[in-house]
Amino acid sequence: MASFSIRAARPEDCPDLLRLIKELAKYEEMEDKVVLTEKGIKAAAARRVGSLLTGSVALYSAFLELLEDGFGEHPFYHCLVAEVPKEQWSPEEHSIVGFAMYYFTYDPWIGKLLYLEDFYVMAEYRGLGIGSEILKNLSQVAVKCRCSSMHFLVAEWNEPSIRFYKRRGASDLSTEEGWRLFRIDKQYLLKMATEE
Amino acid sequence: FQELAKYEEMEDKVVLTEKELLEDGFGEHPFYHCLVAEVPKEQWSPEEHSIVGFAMYYFTYDPWIGKLLYLEDFYVMAEYRGLGIGSEILKNLSQVAVKCRCSSMHFLVAEWNEPSIRFYKRRGASDLSTEEGWRLFRIDKQYLLKMATEE
Repeated sequence: MASFSIRAARPEDCPDLLRLIKELAKYEEMEDKVVLTEKGIKAAAARRVGSLLTGSVALYSAFLELLEDGFGEHPFYHCLVAEVPKEQWSPEEHSIVGFAMYYFTYDPWIGKLLYLEDFYVMAEYRGLGIGSEILKNLSQVAVKCRCSSMHFLVAEWNEPSIRFYKRRGASDLSTEEGWRLFRIDKQYLLKMATEE
Repeated sequence: FQELAKYEEMEDKVVLTEKELLEDGFGEHPFYHCLVAEVPKEQWSPEEHSIVGFAMYYFTYDPWIGKLLYLEDFYVMAEYRGLGIGSEILKNLSQVAVKCRCSSMHFLVAEWNEPSIRFYKRRGASDLSTEEGWRLFRIDKQYLLKMATEE
């Protein structure tokens, strides 16, 4: 019977956080390849831009940013990590086998919300209840911090995740209410910022 | 917010109080920031309002690229549109984003809101839901409580 514990991440967890963030990106990229839709390919391409950050210099600065942004004076995100005891460490001797990254957002009609940004459990450790336990912890954080609800994005082809969340009461606001996520990239922000 | 909610036809869903808004935005840890558009006395509205538009934003985080600016609400009173107020607010927001080292600005637009979609696309916005298949999900408080207290 596997045992594990969920706790808040500490600054020294940053190397593990970066490792799991990359694993999640790889997982998403592979999923995109399996579902050969145009959208999946576009999303995978967007992620591949991020995977250019595998050079050692870029990796180091990504690590430093992660450290400062999460554990500096003003944290821009928070993390929960899932840890297993020594007997269950991975072959590479990792004790941290899952994580969730979240932060607080704001809805002007109802107030604070908890936003789930990333959520991942290593393949070898799935099916043990770790995902459910992380979600339970997140729910407790949300309730304690007086959040009205939890928001997150799911890719439309990610059927296992969609089922996982719907089983727990999630509603698809994009389909139900017609919300679309838009992005304005930095080049266009600079253009607008400096326009006369 | 109530005017924007009316525009979106959800006026009675605004349950946030002035007190909460004050605490959440101007307390020790602000959960949001706002820009407002103000007009001089000669141009005050009939109800004598000097503030005729606003944008609410906060910072979010992408583990791959870092900080992002998230535009939550953006509204200009009907009588004051077409004067460049919206563009100027967006310009200010862009300056905030650049100053705070944000990689991009994210926001939601309702699929039926064609004027807004055009407004943003003209300025370089891409529709990630359509292009990359992202869907926004929500788990309401009742279900959070259920999960929080499960054995």
